Amino acid sequence: MKNSLKVERAINNYTQEELAKKIGVSRQTINSIETNRYVPSTLLALKLSRLFNKPVNEFFTLDDED
Amino acid sequence: MNIKSASECEDRRILKFINFKLPNYYKKIGWIGFTISFVILLSTKYFDGDFSILIELLKRLLLVFLLIVVMSKEKVEDEMIKSIRSQAFSFAFVGAVAYTLLQPTVNLIVSAIVRPDKVIFEDLGDFQVLWFMMIVYLVVFMKLKKRA
Repeated sequence: MKNSLKVERAINNYTQEELAKKIGVSRQTINSIETNRYVPSTLLALKLSRLFNKPVNEFFTLDDED
Repeated sequence: MNIKSASECEDRRILKFINFKLPNYYKKIGWIGFTISFVILLSTKYFDGDFSILIELLKRLLLVFLLIVVMSKEKVEDEMIKSIRSQAFSFAFVGAVAYTLLQPTVNLIVSAIVRPDKVIFEDLGDFQVLWFMMIVYLVVFMKLKKRA
């Protein structure tokens, strides 16, 4: 699964730390999601969707391997 | 209370018990206690006398302090940490089972090669198994956390 979390974060002008605080996770978790080392839960994806005011599948997309 | 809400209440109680973790500051207490017990345990080797009861007591204390470290929350206990924790737990569990089964067998083979006239089969003690399991858990957990 690919994601454009970094881009969305830049559009909304959030640092990793700020975004982490807003959705109640650590900065390390945001970094791991951005670098595709961790796939977040539906709950976290929906929190991000609410924050960015965009549907989840606009910033999380399936890979060819998925 | 109807049957459905009673069962939901029971589920919630079980989940609360399964997900129980100590506050983060217990981690420091655990490491300090572990270090002190470990140093005292090592120092018994440099003094004369019968310390067998003290040694057994210190070994139990070491396990208790390690358990406190294992059961303590991280500073930010989010879903990624929970995922890493469950990966480390499952690895440590499988590792400990494999170690418990293989180690005595390896010892038996080595003893059969070295002294064929006196082959000894010795099972691992509870201390060795629990110690191994918690140390493997902590190492794997730290490694996965650092990698994330």
